[in-house]
Amino acid sequence: MAIYLQILSNGLMLGALYACLAVGFSLVWGVLNVINMLHGSFIILGGYLTFFAWHLYGIHPVVMLPVVAALMFALGFALQKLVINRVVSAPVLTTLTLTFGLDMILYNAMTYWFTATPRRITLDLGAVHLGSIVLPVDRLVGTGLALAMTLLLYAVMRGSSIGRAIVAVRMDRSAAELMGIRTERIYAITFGIGALMAGVAGVVFATVFPITTNVTGIWLGKAFVVCVVGGLGSVPGALVGGLVLGLVESFAGHWFGPQQAITAGFVLMLVLLLTRPTGLVGVRGYE
Amino acid sequence: MFAHGILRSARAGLLASSVATGLLAAALTSPALAQETIKIGAPLALTGGLADEGHKQDVVWKMWVEKINAAGGIQVGDKKLKVELIEYDYQSEGQRASQLAEKLINDDKVQFLFSPFGSGHTKIVAGVGERYQVPTIACVASSESVYDQTLKYLFGTLSPNGGMTTAMVKFFKEKFPETKSIAVLGRDDVFPKSMAEGIAKAAEAGGLTVAYKELYPVGTMDHAAALSSIKAAKPDWIYITGYTQDLILARKQMQDLGVTAPIVTMVTGPSYKEFTDGLGPLANGISSSSWWHHLTSYEGQGVWPTTAAFYEDFKARTKGDPDYVHGSCAAAGEVIVDALARAGSLDKVKVRDAIAATDIQTFYGPIKFGPNGMNLSRELPIIQVQDQAIKVLAPAAIKNADMIAMP
Repeated sequence: MAIYLQILSNGLMLGALYACLAVGFSLVWGVLNVINMLHGSFIILGGYLTFFAWHLYGIHPVVMLPVVAALMFALGFALQKLVINRVVSAPVLTTLTLTFGLDMILYNAMTYWFTATPRRITLDLGAVHLGSIVLPVDRLVGTGLALAMTLLLYAVMRGSSIGRAIVAVRMDRSAAELMGIRTERIYAITFGIGALMAGVAGVVFATVFPITTNVTGIWLGKAFVVCVVGGLGSVPGALVGGLVLGLVESFAGHWFGPQQAITAGFVLMLVLLLTRPTGLVGVRGYE
Repeated sequence: MFAHGILRSARAGLLASSVATGLLAAALTSPALAQETIKIGAPLALTGGLADEGHKQDVVWKMWVEKINAAGGIQVGDKKLKVELIEYDYQSEGQRASQLAEKLINDDKVQFLFSPFGSGHTKIVAGVGERYQVPTIACVASSESVYDQTLKYLFGTLSPNGGMTTAMVKFFKEKFPETKSIAVLGRDDVFPKSMAEGIAKAAEAGGLTVAYKELYPVGTMDHAAALSSIKAAKPDWIYITGYTQDLILARKQMQDLGVTAPIVTMVTGPSYKEFTDGLGPLANGISSSSWWHHLTSYEGQGVWPTTAAFYEDFKARTKGDPDYVHGSCAAAGEVIVDALARAGSLDKVKVRDAIAATDIQTFYGPIKFGPNGMNLSRELPIIQVQDQAIKVLAPAAIKNADMIAMP
């Protein structure tokens, strides 16, 4: 029994991290209809900013969180405003190719500057023991931060005028424009928020996972699966998708061996694509 | 993985034109050497996931070429011929390594190939070399499956993986006689998988119980489930294989989840400085084995007459310590020098036969190829991280510390 409780807690913590990494990707895909191939590299860029601030200047990752968030928002906003907005109405393959090209530049620039050597923030905060269950403190903090940022984004989307404007643009761009919403600005803000959330995920991940450009594609792949499982374009969708994927990978890893853990996540994705294309909590029309 | 697949294939596709342009530029700007030279081609991973490893090969090959050309070149019959090294970046994409090997042979007319990092990509490049009867020297491929394809033109300077497992089981049983069981977790990739399977076989043959044995797929970013199962199995020895990022993550999660054992081995983790740098104090106590260590004291022929001479040269050039990748790849050049001197010509078949008959001593250790083209087994160093520094536990001749249990 103890081992199942341990696997459950492992899965929930992992799932919260997955939710954090996918929520920005989901938002950009849902609102802009842009499959942002830069997302994995954005996460790693956030991780590198955090790592070097800690390594060179001793700045704690938690302190870096708002700094990285602001920098990544600015980067995302500028990219959308100056580059992606020019083709945002084009078919999805065009924007996918554009973000892919931008990703190649960012990915190879990071590999050139930082090398692909895995780096890690060696904070090692220890673990909390609840009976026989072990909860690593950095994962707990990461889980807390991931959930807090995801819920904050949810609150912004629900309660602020910017959030309502984003939702309006997602629902009907033409109607939103007729209501006086400057859609190009909303696009830039949305892409900025997507980059911000990727940067936040990078800060959290820098304390938990090795930071290397080798894993940008892996994180991008997780974001895809989470979006399909949970549903596109909504914060709750990313949260549910992340938690489900974390739990499925953890239990599949235990029952069927670690070799099958990733496969189980993809099988789940395929089943949902066939039976419920909107995802577990997605909205019809965004599948 | 779907997105990873898109990323990789799209990256490959979109880069094709820029690579073609780069190759053309490289061909046009390559020095048109009037005199006859010996051309060695090297598809290298200078960008992408294996960039760090590719750069390790690049630095020592350039060092070697500079030294050999400064000494007048390689003796072939009655002439001394300078060496020209032609490198192309295959961006860590196996398919591109194959295309570039073809280009090196057909367009650049190289007489030898240096193979890229890892057993998987070596397999690809060696297949091309075989087709054109171009001798291929692999310096970072140790899986016997690479050499079991009856490739006559492939030679490897690393010893078989098997040499790293049986000796380790014997050594650890001597040091920790109470060791009864082992848990093995390996990355499902050519080299890490063969090491995981090798250690499980060697452990069983050595009288240990294999309490857990699983593989994890490439791209795994969470080992919690596997480690929780290992914890429940309570092994005396935990043996994990993978590349540096996998092993850093696994060690970190072992600490997080309170998973430990008197002996923890990670292959080839501690062989790389990046591993100890990334883990800090968490690296302490982790053991491993390696094909070479700069503390060894071999003497022999070549541009570096002793291990110390190579170490000093390397240190002056890079400010860092060399690892087995540097040592093995630098020694690969000496195989060609020796073979050409004995063959006395550049004839493909004669050179191939001369390489097959190699039996030399170098700063890297002895090089003598077995029937499958691999360097023959020898006593390989068993190492352990102590106080965040690498210590050699065996063989006795170069030992500089006693083994300690995991802290």
